[in-house]
Amino acid sequence: MKLLSRIVYLALGATFIWAGVAKLIDPSAFLSSILTYEVFGYTFAVAASLFMPYLELCVGFSLATGFLRGGARWLAGGMTVVFLLLLIQAAVRGLDVDCGCFGSEAKASETGFLWPISRDVVMLAALFVAVICERCGRRKSEL
Amino acid sequence: MKSFQEAFALILIALVCGGAAYFAHPLAPSFGLDELSITLEEAQSEPEVFWIDARTDEDFERGHLDGAILLNEERWEDLLINFLDRWPPDAMVVVYCSSQACMRSHEVAERLREELGVEEIFALKGGWETLLEMGLAKEGEK
Repeated sequence: MKLLSRIVYLALGATFIWAGVAKLIDPSAFLSSILTYEVFGYTFAVAASLFMPYLELCVGFSLATGFLRGGARWLAGGMTVVFLLLLIQAAVRGLDVDCGCFGSEAKASETGFLWPISRDVVMLAALFVAVICERCGRRKSEL
Repeated sequence: MKSFQEAFALILIALVCGGAAYFAHPLAPSFGLDELSITLEEAQSEPEVFWIDARTDEDFERGHLDGAILLNEERWEDLLINFLDRWPPDAMVVVYCSSQACMRSHEVAERLREELGVEEIFALKGGWETLLEMGLAKEGEK
């Protein structure tokens, strides 16, 4: 169980690091992606385009290494839920968004929403599995 | 409680890095660019407007606003000569790109303001999409 949770945390951490690096290479492109969601004002979007890549990097590093993992779990879950809600509202409103999840990508009109939404659902499920396995492993070692 | 403290520490680290990136990253967006934005109604209320299309060459070829000239960062040096030839200094300059989310118009407006000292220059809110919606341009129209 412990090994499974470690593997899942490592995979999730790598995914967050990948997403963070892809965004921090070009924050202006990420800003354009954020604005396509038509939810945030310009000033907030600029702040988010500078802050989010580093938060994803920190969370990814923490999930993968175990350093400050308790906090990283909450942040990873919170961020994934927010990303999911943003994608769903864009799909409902019929917006042609650039997901921006892993850097600047093709528009929704070309790729659809199914893949990015499924990806976020899988990430949430993986996080849940990792937490459960970690707790089960801890209980076993306590017994 | 410990988890929240850890989350707060991670947020703090990201905030510090994000703040440093704002000053040090060569591609960091600027908070001030939004001040360059102008709505279509505001642009239309001006007596004379000189339009600049900041999209790609291909998009410009597919269709552009009547009277607009092409000026994008990919071919800045080549296209700037045409801008200097045709720019009426008394007119307000309005730059547009593809949509509300694109930043190309802001970047071109900012660059013209900085490099040539063009003061009355703005980026159109909504860009080409707004021009199409308002019936001022048609896709395929040159």
